[in-house]
Amino acid sequence: MSFTHLNVSSSYSAHYGVSHPRTLAQAAKAQGAPMLALTDRDGLYGTVKHVAACMTEGIAPILGVNLAVLDDNGATLGRIVLLAQGHSNGLGYAALCRAISLAHNTAHGVPGLSANQLDQLSKSGNLMLLLGGESDVARAILKGNYAKARGLLVEWKKRVGKMLRVEITTHLSAPGSRHSLGEASRLLRYAYERQIKAVLSNAVRYVDPDGAVTADILDSARALHSLKNLDFCQPNGQGWLKTPHEMFQLATEIGQATERSWAHQMLRETEAVAHWAAIDPVTDLGWKSPVIPEARVIGLYRPAMQELTDRVYGAVPTLLRNEAPNVVEERLALELGVIERLDFAGYFLTVAETVNLITEMGVRVAARGSGASSLVNYLLGISQVNPLAHDLVFERFLSDTRTTLPDIDIDVESARRHEIYHKIFSSFGEERVSLMSMQNAYRARGAVRDAGAALGVEQEQVDEIAKQLWRFSASSFREALVEKPELAALAQRITDDTQLDILIDATERLDRLPRHISMHPCGVILSDASLLDRTPVQPSGIGLQMSQFDKHDMDLMGLIKLDVLGVRMQSAIAYTLEEIARMHPSKEQASRAGGHTNDSYIDASGAIDLAKVPLDDEPTFDLIRSTHTLGCFQIESPGQRELVGKLAPREFNDLIIDISLFRPGPMQSNMVKPYLEHRHGFAPAQYLHPDLIPALAETHGVTVFHEQVLRMLDVLTGCGLGMADVYRRLLGNPEKEPAVERYVRTEATKRGYSQETIDQVWEVLSGFGSFGFCKAHGAAFAVPTYHSAWLKAHHPEAFLAGIWEHDPGMYPKRLLVSEARRMGVPILPLDINRSNGHYRVERVFEYAPAKVPMVPRAVGSQRPGRYGIRLAFRDIHQMSEREVQRLVTGQPYEHLADVRARAGLSRRTYQNLAALGVFDSLLAGTSRADTIAHTQSMVHSSLPAKYRPGPGQLALDLGQIEHIKATGTQLDPAEVVRTELDLMHLDASEHLMTSYRRRLSHLPITQAAELLHLRNGTEVLVAGVRIATQTPPMRGGKRVVFISVDDGTGCIDATFFDDTQQRTGPLLFSTRMLLIHGVTRRTGPRGISLQALNAWDLHQSESLPVAGYLEEQGRPQISYRPKFGEGARKSESVGELAKRMEAEGLDQRGA
Amino acid sequence: MGMFTESIEVARAANGMPLRVKWQGRDYRLVAEPQRWFERRKWWDENLRIPRGIGAGLADYEMWRLQLVAVSGSKQEHTFDVSFDAQTERWRLVRVHQELAQSA
Repeated sequence: MSFTHLNVSSSYSAHYGVSHPRTLAQAAKAQGAPMLALTDRDGLYGTVKHVAACMTEGIAPILGVNLAVLDDNGATLGRIVLLAQGHSNGLGYAALCRAISLAHNTAHGVPGLSANQLDQLSKSGNLMLLLGGESDVARAILKGNYAKARGLLVEWKKRVGKMLRVEITTHLSAPGSRHSLGEASRLLRYAYERQIKAVLSNAVRYVDPDGAVTADILDSARALHSLKNLDFCQPNGQGWLKTPHEMFQLATEIGQATERSWAHQMLRETEAVAHWAAIDPVTDLGWKSPVIPEARVIGLYRPAMQELTDRVYGAVPTLLRNEAPNVVEERLALELGVIERLDFAGYFLTVAETVNLITEMGVRVAARGSGASSLVNYLLGISQVNPLAHDLVFERFLSDTRTTLPDIDIDVESARRHEIYHKIFSSFGEERVSLMSMQNAYRARGAVRDAGAALGVEQEQVDEIAKQLWRFSASSFREALVEKPELAALAQRITDDTQLDILIDATERLDRLPRHISMHPCGVILSDASLLDRTPVQPSGIGLQMSQFDKHDMDLMGLIKLDVLGVRMQSAIAYTLEEIARMHPSKEQASRAGGHTNDSYIDASGAIDLAKVPLDDEPTFDLIRSTHTLGCFQIESPGQRELVGKLAPREFNDLIIDISLFRPGPMQSNMVKPYLEHRHGFAPAQYLHPDLIPALAETHGVTVFHEQVLRMLDVLTGCGLGMADVYRRLLGNPEKEPAVERYVRTEATKRGYSQETIDQVWEVLSGFGSFGFCKAHGAAFAVPTYHSAWLKAHHPEAFLAGIWEHDPGMYPKRLLVSEARRMGVPILPLDINRSNGHYRVERVFEYAPAKVPMVPRAVGSQRPGRYGIRLAFRDIHQMSEREVQRLVTGQPYEHLADVRARAGLSRRTYQNLAALGVFDSLLAGTSRADTIAHTQSMVHSSLPAKYRPGPGQLALDLGQIEHIKATGTQLDPAEVVRTELDLMHLDASEHLMTSYRRRLSHLPITQAAELLHLRNGTEVLVAGVRIATQTPPMRGGKRVVFISVDDGTGCIDATFFDDTQQRTGPLLFSTRMLLIHGVTRRTGPRGISLQALNAWDLHQSESLPVAGYLEEQGRPQISYRPKFGEGARKSESVGELAKRMEAEGLDQRGA
Repeated sequence: MGMFTESIEVARAANGMPLRVKWQGRDYRLVAEPQRWFERRKWWDENLRIPRGIGAGLADYEMWRLQLVAVSGSKQEHTFDVSFDAQTERWRLVRVHQELAQSA
């Protein structure tokens, strides 16, 4: 006889279960079980993983859920398990989904079902209810209320009838405690009294005994009590996936305590229920068969393929006027053929319908990813990139070899993302749409916090450790302690303090366990009206329903997912365009302001249609080549600015290459250097074989794009581009790559290629296959890159306002103040009557001719200084959105009393605004310092009642009643900056560094603007505010840290190698104001960076170097300079790097 | 009832059930079916390390209640609670039930 576990919680029961469904299924298989249930708490979060794992192991999955039973007030009476009937054409599974969605639809937010709801649900006969050790019956037994327990059982029988089973569990705990043998025996006895069938379970929480400790820690995290104070933890550590033999033995013990024959009946019934519930993934779940919305929902009244073909051909005359008809014809025949054979026409129309909805809302939308490879997508308006113009390969997106739906990702304006979601829900109908969820797992920081709380480690100590955990997983904690210099002090403490030692073990146990689900940032699931039969849903943070399945579950469950991704840059661009049209509301004005020689893309109201802007604008490329690309999409990071400086893009395709090169793979595998050398003609391009020239010519022989890998495979083997993409996906997979290699070698040999050529090409393929980049993706990205640079070159003020408004970049806002100075754009201070809730372009009348800005502008565009950007009331510390609204609604204000009377500000906001000088323009004869003193002395921010007009009264002239004492006090500029930083997180009046200059006056500090004029290898001291920290993985495993600081004249990018990291220790990641000692490294005609030798915290004056430091004998020197070329190759092969990148989630194959 | 925790030797049958006990130099045999349960163990107080994969016996220890008589000499029955620690593989005598011993 076999034994099947019917009550099993996996790690997807957050803060409860320990083991992954795959681990459980493997263990069940190893124990010889033919079936295995998964009954996670509150949902089917782990179900798809469970089904997939069971299918892999060849055992039958059983699906269920563990739910709370609630009383009318939402209090938990106990918990029960529901199992879905299998082999019922999905009826059982649908009932389970609906029951779970219902359970999450409670008014009080605690998921669960009432007894009445369970009564209703059991009527259909598709759900089995298990009443076990967590039920109200068992609770009553535990408390010794035996009569009550019997009474409750009678009620359950009345309610649920033949769908009820009593579930017997014993963990052989101490007599009188939960899951004791006595409790189990008593429950079994009561079941027999009422003739209710019983099953045996072990209420599994972990796969083996080792997991018991982890379960204890999870109990503590769930209950928010330390283990010492935890009163409701598991009675012991026996809740693992016991073997059939162990379960039989438990049955025997229960039989001995009750009736011997009952044990056998219980085991038989367990197997009977298991058979009843065993799921057929195909017929019950619709495994892997995609379901698209009904035809009429997407406006379809004829066969989808016919509709698609007509729409696509209909768009050719407008969108492809300049392409040769036979090229278009050939390409469309290829694409439509594939789509027809795969029967995906409905899918494309669904996506097109969604994009259409978004476009009709007036929202900027663009496809990203491999979807840009498809001409059909371009003609349907899904993608903005013409794949023929950029030589993009359709097979990278879709081919006959593919069986799953391709991903089409859509970028929209981030600010309007939720509005779009609501629109999709209302257009397709609530029953067909759901948001996708994502599992948030424990990472190092959260794990150490919860583990610390469980063990009762002092909060302060835990916080301090948590702060140090930066960018590595908890499971590598011990390794990191040894390796990372900033953790050295902590490592020492652990040796001294045993409590910290156990803390790390506990942290490692929590690592990667699911914690909670949340709304996926962009996934929207579209389906037909059966959606809610196929996924349970629960409310999301924005009120719309959210599926319990994550992105890995989509294809398997036949769910179609659209990635509707909010991109801040799209919002920034939309805002920029609005500002241009607002300031220059006609074709002529807008054209003049931007210095446009061609105004065909500007309409009569001054609105610019970026889609019509040619992609060869010279001023745009001038700007990009200047490397003043802060704020430009994808090319503003320190590393990108360095690369752009070296690459010097001249045309749109250069941008695609630039974006594709700036990936961990190419950067580390030294692809960039040969590319640049060939590009600039320093070295002739080399091709492994003349046949490969067509594929590799655009990148001078260097393999950069996935598309090139496909073509190389095709040239070598003649496999066709579709199969080539299948092989490409297998590259780097240690199990499958050898077969690809054999195939390639055999076929290439047959086709007459020499062994040497094959060896060389294979080395490139196997190495770069995993981290090449999809050119279509690069092309899709390059469009907003180009557009943002175009706007920065032609309309710098509006562009900067857009960046400020939507904050799309990687840098803090305060850095944009410095950039504004470099762009020659005045920052206009906050003003009570001129500022509003948004960053706006404003005409500057007191025009002072500015010096030529560092950042180039398009010739003929508005001269710098004519327009400025007015700071906005948003982003002021502690000022609520409603306060901003009220303040703006009340504008203009005549005097302070007027503000007090009408703006309805809190006292704190009133004081903050005074401190920021918002009221300065209302003052006559008094200073900002006086106003601040005045507001500090106020008791209320509103006027005393006697000054407020009564009903029917005219407002008094309030000008007279605010008496501000003029003291002549002036604020210290440093104090003004301090206030600005505190309240706005930016330093508008002067740069933050200014106030630090004094304490550095004894040292020869070099400014960022001067660096570029220095020779390579000059030793310098620089100081600034940290603006970015990056630690990309490096060849050979040594970590390199890049820190960028800003000193008001520009950015300085410093590289910290291992030896310097050792020297600087903890301040590497924690210090804001830095003094850095380093040596210049020229990176290109416009690029220079520092190799750091040491660094100090500007706040620790006593630790700063003394005068004459740069002449000191003992100062650090360059001792180590890693070679990114041949030297490093010895320590880590390309294949090893590829593997490490995959492990670290940097693999770009799926992109 | 007296509380002890001292070392004791217990021999088990193949199915894990205790067969014979040696305590303070005397041999005892079982006179009734022994009772078993698993008692909670406060590993957070007792352990210095809890690395993954440490195995069974951290969250609980195995307890047996044994009714014994000495193999030779007095035929008086004793009731012992003994524990087995899976981590150290050691048996300890946890308590001797005096009342039961006297009433026997």
